[in-house]
Amino acid sequence: MVNLILINPIYIIGIGLGTAFLLGFFKKGKSVAWALMLAALAVMTYISFTWLWSFIFNGQLPEQVYTAGFKPPFSINLLMGKSEAFFTFLISFVGFLGGIYLFDKLKEQGTHAISVYLILIMGLNGIVMTRDIFNLFVFLEIASIATAGLIVLTPDIKAFSAGFKYMIASGLISGFLLIGIIFAYYFGGTLNIDFLIQADLLAVKGGVFAVFLIIIALLLELKPFPANGWGIDAYEASPAGINAVISAASAGAVYYVLSKVLPIADAKWYTVTAVVGMITFLGSNLMGIKQADAKRMLGYSSVGQVGLLLVFLGLSKQLGINFEFIVFGIIISHYLAKAGLFWLAGIVKTGKLKEWGILRRKPVLVFFMGTFIFALLGLPPFPSFFAKWTLVMTLSAAGMNLWVGLILLGSLVEAIYLFRWLGYTVKLDDNKELSLSTPLYKTIPVWVFGLLTYYIGYLSSTMVPGGSSLSMFYIPLAFVGVLFIVDKFLPVLIKNTVSIAAMAYYGWYYMADLTEFRMLFAIIFIGGGIITLIAGYAKNGKRIGFYPFAMMMYAGLAGLLLSENILQFFISWELMTLGSYILILRGKKSMPHALSYMLFSLGGAFLILAGLGLAYASSGANSISLDILKNVNQYSGLIYAFLAVGFMTKTAAIGLHIWLPGAHAEAESDVSPMVSAILLKAGMFGLVVLMLSMGSQSLGGVSLPYLLGWLGAITAILGNIMAVFQEDAKRLLAYSSVGQLGYVVFAMAFMSHLGWLTALAFALNHFVFKALLFLAIGGVVMRTKTKTMYEMGGLIKRMPFSFISVLIGIIALSGLPPLTGFAGKWLSYNAVIEKGWYFQGFLVSIAGLVAFLYCFRIIHVIFLGQPKDKFKNIKEAPLPMLIAQYILIGAIMLFSIMPNMVLKPVGDFLIQYFPDGALQWQGGTAISRLGRWSGVAIMNITMGIFGIIFVWLLFISRKAVKVKPFNIFYSGEAPSRPELTHFGYNFFAPYKKAVGFLVQPLVTRFWYGLADILHSISDLVRRLYNGNGQTYAFYVIIFMVVFSFFTIGG
Amino acid sequence: MIFEPIQIPWTILGLFIVFNVGLILTGTVRKIGARVGRRRGIRIYQPYIDLVKNYALRSNFTHGMMFYLAPVFRLSGGVGLIVFMPLIYDSVHFSNFSFAGDAILIMYFMFFGTLGMALGAGEGGVPFSAIGISRGLSQVTAAEIPLILAFLAVFIQTESFSITEIVAAQQGGFLNWTLFTNPLATATAMLAFLGSMMRSPFDIVLAPQEIPIGPPTEFHSSFLGVLSTNRAVFPMAKTILYVNLFFGGATSWPELILKSFLLYMWSVVVGTIYPRFRTEQSIRWFMKYPLILGVITILVLQFG
Repeated sequence: MVNLILINPIYIIGIGLGTAFLLGFFKKGKSVAWALMLAALAVMTYISFTWLWSFIFNGQLPEQVYTAGFKPPFSINLLMGKSEAFFTFLISFVGFLGGIYLFDKLKEQGTHAISVYLILIMGLNGIVMTRDIFNLFVFLEIASIATAGLIVLTPDIKAFSAGFKYMIASGLISGFLLIGIIFAYYFGGTLNIDFLIQADLLAVKGGVFAVFLIIIALLLELKPFPANGWGIDAYEASPAGINAVISAASAGAVYYVLSKVLPIADAKWYTVTAVVGMITFLGSNLMGIKQADAKRMLGYSSVGQVGLLLVFLGLSKQLGINFEFIVFGIIISHYLAKAGLFWLAGIVKTGKLKEWGILRRKPVLVFFMGTFIFALLGLPPFPSFFAKWTLVMTLSAAGMNLWVGLILLGSLVEAIYLFRWLGYTVKLDDNKELSLSTPLYKTIPVWVFGLLTYYIGYLSSTMVPGGSSLSMFYIPLAFVGVLFIVDKFLPVLIKNTVSIAAMAYYGWYYMADLTEFRMLFAIIFIGGGIITLIAGYAKNGKRIGFYPFAMMMYAGLAGLLLSENILQFFISWELMTLGSYILILRGKKSMPHALSYMLFSLGGAFLILAGLGLAYASSGANSISLDILKNVNQYSGLIYAFLAVGFMTKTAAIGLHIWLPGAHAEAESDVSPMVSAILLKAGMFGLVVLMLSMGSQSLGGVSLPYLLGWLGAITAILGNIMAVFQEDAKRLLAYSSVGQLGYVVFAMAFMSHLGWLTALAFALNHFVFKALLFLAIGGVVMRTKTKTMYEMGGLIKRMPFSFISVLIGIIALSGLPPLTGFAGKWLSYNAVIEKGWYFQGFLVSIAGLVAFLYCFRIIHVIFLGQPKDKFKNIKEAPLPMLIAQYILIGAIMLFSIMPNMVLKPVGDFLIQYFPDGALQWQGGTAISRLGRWSGVAIMNITMGIFGIIFVWLLFISRKAVKVKPFNIFYSGEAPSRPELTHFGYNFFAPYKKAVGFLVQPLVTRFWYGLADILHSISDLVRRLYNGNGQTYAFYVIIFMVVFSFFTIGG
Repeated sequence: MIFEPIQIPWTILGLFIVFNVGLILTGTVRKIGARVGRRRGIRIYQPYIDLVKNYALRSNFTHGMMFYLAPVFRLSGGVGLIVFMPLIYDSVHFSNFSFAGDAILIMYFMFFGTLGMALGAGEGGVPFSAIGISRGLSQVTAAEIPLILAFLAVFIQTESFSITEIVAAQQGGFLNWTLFTNPLATATAMLAFLGSMMRSPFDIVLAPQEIPIGPPTEFHSSFLGVLSTNRAVFPMAKTILYVNLFFGGATSWPELILKSFLLYMWSVVVGTIYPRFRTEQSIRWFMKYPLILGVITILVLQFG
């Protein structure tokens, strides 16, 4: 690698300090002062960069810089090691970009502010490099005073008060630190950190006190919960540009200092640090939920992230060799994302989260906002993802499952408010009265950090074990990236065609070799994807933001099938979730539903992650191949349960289903089939992988497949009953999906040949008919602009082709012979009797009957009955949507006549997993131990009878006169308006009276109740932060006292 | 068993017999009902006359495609049931096309006609037919709850879905009938039977006398003709299924006709005695005693 000339790091301090003094001469030339400051920062950045480069590529060794010509302990020394180079680079770089960003603010406030800003960066650099504890104190003071100064310099009374509180708190902390240093010097005889570590202060009684004071001071600098009100207030009041620097640079610097100094203490202190970090992480994120102000919320998030770093620091011994990588991933993500988000907050100006809709005027900024949020939350392909992955694997291997659980829990809480915020930005009104100014000096830093997030994400992916296997994502993600770039310019026609071609090519080229389950799911994912995309031709314009995310979702789905190790699998899972989240979010009223989808998905993903971590640990922690699930030695029940529940958040098993109806119903007309017919199968695929690898496991003496069987059956019946009572057509279909996937889970739980054949028949069938129904209903909704069924009626005359689609769809759904649905029913009876799960089977049969009710309802209330005047002239659904539907109808017909075409090969490969109970095939006739079924004979006979009777009726009613639907009378009166004679609202009223009690929204109440509790706790804790400086100081003291109990003992 | 062309005429003959038996049975039952009510009643062959009249009516209106197809669906459903079922045990000629499927097929095929007719009536545009369908579907899904349990019991007991095999298992004396080998299942099934025969107390779906609702009010002339053809075939199909599953099947036509008649009379007797339920009442009723009985049946089989 290129050798860069290394410059003595003392110049970082020197240039910073010197330039700051020099700036005093430029009282009037503010622009010159600003440029000078930037130049200084650029040089400082460059110096750190050269060192970082040499450390990474040229094997550079750490170097000590001695001042005053003496070696320590007689003088102050600085150290430039790899970590120092990294941190100083981060500090100076964000300082540099932040300096650009603050162009207007700094110019407005004059040269003083510019100097103070530069001093802040210099101070932070010093904090990182110094090895002398008193010198550290000095730099900390410089940084604190500079920060407070920058806050106070804002001409705003709120900022002034926040700055003042900041001063109080940091004064207090400095006091502790100074006293600690005095004691340390007294007992250790040195101020040099390295010597202090060797001195073993803890051995001396007074030394313990010194250690305590020093560590507590540094901890307090990191704003631990709840002694951090002063920090949070500062975040809220100070300008966003300053916040970016405080959050990204200061937090990193102080964290690094703590990691430098903590070795003076022993293991117990590490544990306490980890606990403090965890409390901070959980507490801050909990408080974030209730925030309505962007900067304050980001402040909580920052504090939370630092808390997470503290956890790592406290657990550094357990994390071992992975410690550096984990900290790197989290710090760099936090650094890039938090600075980026604060900068965006500065651009948007308004503090209120609900006014962020104005950011949509610059879609690329929304894109970066999403990027930053995903990066913060540890989603792929960002560095924090790889860090979290490594973290979970490492902690699991060390048996520290509680820590894993808490970290994932905290992340989930963080996701609540960050995704809600993203939802607001994407969906809420763009308030025209607010202005959005995006000068280049404000957007460039965002761009730089946004792009860096991706680049560093890529770098991290190569560093993680198994990272080389991630090359499978390069091609699809590159395609997604290209789509992002051209998204703004190309029309739907081109993007749609390119997407279809890309999917077909990818499927053909990469997935044609797949076998068995993977092939079957590839047909659903890729084939289904292409068909639903065909319907997309019906859309006009550019449809910005659709194609990249749709392709991301499909890339994830394809990745699931191609993945060979748990890392690939999990990344695919997350990609699919991300893409589908944005797709769902695109719907007009889908904001809250997309949020709940995302939260359930993330919760599920975290369970999967925890399960995979446990599996990794329990199989010996030496392989990440998917096969480790087959070699699990302990915790097998727990792993099974975690993974199963995680996958079932996607299949929406009862209890985890509440996100589904809204998300599927409010999505766009061609997105609904994607997320319903196709995406849900991803959960099923997960279950396939799990169950084939792990077989049957039990937890607490209960067989888990047995539980799954009951869960599936109950899901089936309740999902279907709920569907019956919907007035909204798409919600009806959505609840129906809940029920249908219940069948699938039920059948899979059999763990038998017939059971799995049933499950796959159900799944294939559900894929076809649900895509068909959602497309058909989507077409109707496009034309009528309503989803409420009773507002429609009589559309058969205007939309006959859609009617036929729905008719075929519901016949296939309800399992009536002669169409395909019957295959699943017949197989399931066979499986039930064979297995002996009579009651579960009975519930599922009843569920099938209940399905008739909603099937009839959806077709009757929309297409039959009285046409309304306002829909007298609507047109048939757009041709592309119909084409997609009729392709699906073709598939249904083919599968109905020749079920053996699919079921026989499926049965053949199932034999190797479940050898007993396979079907015999005689041509198209399936023969089981119990009965027989011949799809082709049934079809022929039925059609024959139907044809004969039809001809007969044609003959006898040849003179029939056709009358209009409104040509009716009842009770001797002719009705005046069609609305009066359309029976559609509360269609199954008696049924509701009788069985409505079964579908009381208990589950919904449970989750909403949980959300309420979270909010209430958040609100309660929030009141601790009353904005009073004295109170905050009091908390600092309390924190100290409590901390002292656990470290030096009460 | 495979398909041979000679089966077609035999199947049609079987169908013809069932159709006539159904019509005469309908007439007889109406006659009995009238006599119980101290009325003179119709002539037994009145259903034939009604049928001819309907087919012969000159006025004839249709509301559209689905309306037109509804009777076709309905009758195909009824005829299909007969055709997919073996009528006479051990008879080569009257085993019909039962090679195509088994009892599961019959259970699901029952809905084929129902669905089609419901759709057609829906297109007619009169809300009453839709109300009737709403009631009918609600009620039938409730009535099927015990039905499925009873059928499951038979399947579990004989380890087969094949109607022929189920009947075979009941041969060799009436004590081998499911009625005696599994009285609980039979009792459950008989309660469920009431729900599907459109008689009181479960006849609010049609409410034949005072509030004319439900699909038949919509159809007339030849459409109604096709529907009434089905009214003769469909209940017979259900009855024959019951005879096969619970009452030892039949080895000859007289046996089949006698058993069907007696079975049919069960719903008639109950209907003559008990007043009508509202829809939600009947749903609740099915979810009480028949369900409990059915659950006990299965429990006995599973653990007994």
